[in-house]
Amino acid sequence: MKTKKVFIAVAITTLIVAMVLISLEAYYVVVALVVGALLMGHRELWSLLRRRKLPPIDERVRENTGKSVRNGFIFFAVAVAFLMLPFSVRLVEAPDTVQVLGGLFISAGAVYLISYLFYDRVEPNLGEKGMRLLRIFLLVAGISLGAFIISVFLHNAIYGLFIHFFGADFWDRVGVADEPVFFFIAVIACPLAFAVGITGSLVLFIKGLFSKSK
Amino acid sequence: MRTKIKEYRTKHNLTQERLAEMVGVRRETIIYLEQGKYNPSLRLAHNVAEALQTTIDEVFIFDD
Repeated sequence: MKTKKVFIAVAITTLIVAMVLISLEAYYVVVALVVGALLMGHRELWSLLRRRKLPPIDERVRENTGKSVRNGFIFFAVAVAFLMLPFSVRLVEAPDTVQVLGGLFISAGAVYLISYLFYDRVEPNLGEKGMRLLRIFLLVAGISLGAFIISVFLHNAIYGLFIHFFGADFWDRVGVADEPVFFFIAVIACPLAFAVGITGSLVLFIKGLFSKSK
Repeated sequence: MRTKIKEYRTKHNLTQERLAEMVGVRRETIIYLEQGKYNPSLRLAHNVAEALQTTIDEVFIFDD
């Protein structure tokens, strides 16, 4: 009974939001909304078609949904906070609200969906060993992203400071056209590490997602 | 955590789907419970044990 109510509520809300979005001409958001709703409710739809009844919302589904909603909300709040910054100091011209909100809702929805799939399938299927490996890959990707930003800053800072203290022709005198260490880290090492981290994470995520659990 | 759900389920001639129906959960939850990949609440553990006509400590085994 409870599942039926939730299922009907989600279906009606999706329909109303889709109609509002169509009237706002945000078609790509409508497509994302419908695809997301179908992905989320595929088990319920499948069960309804095959057995003419809805599967129960048990404690595992409730737990996973709660954690996924929390992740989606945190992402939405952080993204809004970051977007407010350039808009508030007028670094960016007034944005198209529908486009920005549409993009935000799609991204928050994607975070929710990925989180749900992770808690529902990937985490139990990967096991302790797989999860440890996934954490390492994600850490490599995150650190390389941070290191890239720091390296770009340090590269430019060192380049400018040496010119400031030792003259405009300093880099030509030492025989290199540019500061080489952080340049190498930012252009080669970090993107390589990021690619390894992201690829490894994706492979493990997909492996966990499609593992047979019989 | 290990479980003897499959063992007891086979003994009582129950399918995963039937056990899920009896306990009021999804079949996937039974699958993950059988594999020891999900820590159930005390209520769910009790319901599973009751459906399998045994006790919680007989079905769920916690390794150190």
